[in-house]
Amino acid sequence: MDKLIVLLPATPLLSALLITLLADRARRRIARLSVGFSVLTFVLAAAALALYLVEGQPQWASFGPGWGSLYLDPLTSVMSLMVAGISLVVHVYSVRYMAEEPGYGRFYILLDLMAAAILLMVAAGDLVTLLVAWHLIGVLLYFLLGHDAARPAAQRYAFWTFLTYRLGDLPLVLAAVLLYESYGTAALPTLFERISAAPDAHAVAGFPVLGVVALLVALAAFARSAQFPLHTWLPYTMEGPTPVSALMHAGIVNAGGFIINRFAPLFVHAGSVLHLVFAVGLVTAILGSILMLTQNDIKKSLGYSTMGQMGFMFVECGVGAFSLAIYHLIAHGLFKGTLFLGAGGVIGNARKHDGVPHDDIYTFVVERRPLAPRLPWILAAVITVVVPFLVLGASRWLMGGDSVGEQGGIILLFFGWVTGAQLLFATYRLRVDSPWRLMAMIILSLVIVVAGYTLIEHGFDLFLYPDRELSERIYAAASIPLATFEVLVMILTAAIVVGWLATYYAAANGRAHHGDASPLRIAFYSLISREFYVADVYAWLTQATLSLSRRLNVWSRWM
Amino acid sequence: MTLLLIASLFLPLFPLSVVLNGALTKLNHPAARGALLLVWPQLGIGLLQIAPHAMPPYFVPWALLTSGLYALRLLTVRDMGRWAGFLATSSLTLTWALAAGGDIVELHLFAFWFSLPPALMALLVHPLTRRFGAAYAGLQGGLIGHLPRLSAVLAVTALAAVATPPFPGFFALLRVLHALDWAGAVTVLAIWLIWGWAATKLLQGFIFGTDRTAPGTDIGRASTLAFTGVASLFVAAGLYLTGGGL
Repeated sequence: MDKLIVLLPATPLLSALLITLLADRARRRIARLSVGFSVLTFVLAAAALALYLVEGQPQWASFGPGWGSLYLDPLTSVMSLMVAGISLVVHVYSVRYMAEEPGYGRFYILLDLMAAAILLMVAAGDLVTLLVAWHLIGVLLYFLLGHDAARPAAQRYAFWTFLTYRLGDLPLVLAAVLLYESYGTAALPTLFERISAAPDAHAVAGFPVLGVVALLVALAAFARSAQFPLHTWLPYTMEGPTPVSALMHAGIVNAGGFIINRFAPLFVHAGSVLHLVFAVGLVTAILGSILMLTQNDIKKSLGYSTMGQMGFMFVECGVGAFSLAIYHLIAHGLFKGTLFLGAGGVIGNARKHDGVPHDDIYTFVVERRPLAPRLPWILAAVITVVVPFLVLGASRWLMGGDSVGEQGGIILLFFGWVTGAQLLFATYRLRVDSPWRLMAMIILSLVIVVAGYTLIEHGFDLFLYPDRELSERIYAAASIPLATFEVLVMILTAAIVVGWLATYYAAANGRAHHGDASPLRIAFYSLISREFYVADVYAWLTQATLSLSRRLNVWSRWM
Repeated sequence: MTLLLIASLFLPLFPLSVVLNGALTKLNHPAARGALLLVWPQLGIGLLQIAPHAMPPYFVPWALLTSGLYALRLLTVRDMGRWAGFLATSSLTLTWALAAGGDIVELHLFAFWFSLPPALMALLVHPLTRRFGAAYAGLQGGLIGHLPRLSAVLAVTALAAVATPPFPGFFALLRVLHALDWAGAVTVLAIWLIWGWAATKLLQGFIFGTDRTAPGTDIGRASTLAFTGVASLFVAAGLYLTGGGL
């Protein structure tokens, strides 16, 4: 098992070294070599997961006195398989996609090094190895995003990404130093044991050290996973090659969720940090979704969609559903990778057929077809509000009586409720010949999706956190006082019910299509179109720093 | 105290740092510059060793200010020779953070980890000047298209110089963070951030961007292998001798 853990990051590293030595060979041979090693890495990752399932015990292997250790636990085995899988798909896709690009060999070297760095990060068994891998990912991503050396935009946004990542590296470095100083070890399993034994034994600047470290880890995660206001780099990484975009949006950007899970034993003692994670995730999810809806470029829209999804992932962490965040990041990685790799095809098809459905007036006047009926709006509104709530509530209840009572579970139920209601509303607005049949089919699909999702998530939770006490303590740490929570639940329930009734009423009476845009709405749209001016603020800060540097050089040119 | 002040000439504290940077500007031969960068801080540590007095507490804030000043200046320096000198000044001053508690071997090694990469950068000025007349970021650009080996060597050396893992500067920096208090550690991290920013600006000026030069001959295989060998040995020595920094 030890050898297997070492081979996971070593295999892509060996591939990169071999390609460097064979740089003068034909492109096809380079690609074949790299893809071959990627297949091997995937097989090794699958074997590591299988071995873990058979043995059932985490393994820690050290190769040096102070650092250089690897750790195979449920989180590592699942993440390794996901990373190796996405890396393999990206490698295969790049064979033809990058065929006409200069620097073909360099691209594969960087891709292999990136796979090695990510695998090292997920398998890191100590703080230093984790820092090394975490940092290398940012550096390698800079070179991958800037692969097209002649495009100024690619260079500019590669630099943005690098700087944000470096900014996020700093708190993690500080967290590692603080943990080592407080608990005297860099090895993760020993560190977590000592934390459990003496959680409140140390303080820094008058604050409990675990709270400070958890905050620093959360800050590092925010930068890595594009949480507001450190999100500006993410949508612009589309300037890099499409396979890199896919790798980044499907894998690298998820590192924030991973690092929070890796340090889960810390967050048990830092409930207030989990509340911050929840708030930041919620703001990011809302802003990311709003910005996504206003884009007219499919790849940028996907970029903001990733931002929104990352926000949801942090919301899940914030309510204590750590394993759900990992399940989410895997599911998101797979579907977002598919979307990115298929974006080119979609753009090609859209040039032939725009795919925009005709509106009611066009159908009636030009196509001379009668309008298909809709369900009565009040009935549809009741179905929309009641059905998702019942389906989700029942599925949570079936998974165990306790989980429905957890605050985190209830908050996630709300998110599911709103999403399910959105699906039913979209169904209501469609003009079809048999609306009842369509609605029944959609509700059936919803039941299947929710049941499947809940079952898998439950299994996933049991696999990732076999220590049930730890899982329950994380939920408990994320909780807020019961009375406050109940008031919030009542307000949210009322807002959702009234909101959907109003939405249906407006849709049924055509109010959504009429009326001039108010100045407030125009101002809001301007704000969104400038992406809340966050990037402008950063650009101003950058220019101010460079200006200060120039002045310093002029003033002190003689020294 | 006099010996400490003389040491602050060699482990350059502002404004005494003018001597090192002035000497680097005056020296024309890249090998001489490289040698100066390697030897200069070791002399300072030798002086620290024989200094009879303990280091006054204001030396560490002074060193951090000097380091921050040169890091900021680094952002808009485009001449690679001066860039190497400024980076060496910014990083070598951090030796003072370890001087209070670190043993003398550790100090010698620390200075070596942060002076070898700038010395290699000073050497790289030569092939650039020979081909383009000056080693000036933004003047040529796009070297990666025609000179991939030189670009790769330049990129690796720049990354080593700004303490990117797995180069030993990174582990040495972790050791510095250990030795400092909360505020000092945050300052060092901010300086590290600026080094990274400066390195990307330098690389964007040389290896990325539109290629405005006629195709030239790349550096030879032997030179590339020599640089790769030195870099590999540097990494191996760092991994072995720093013990991970923490």
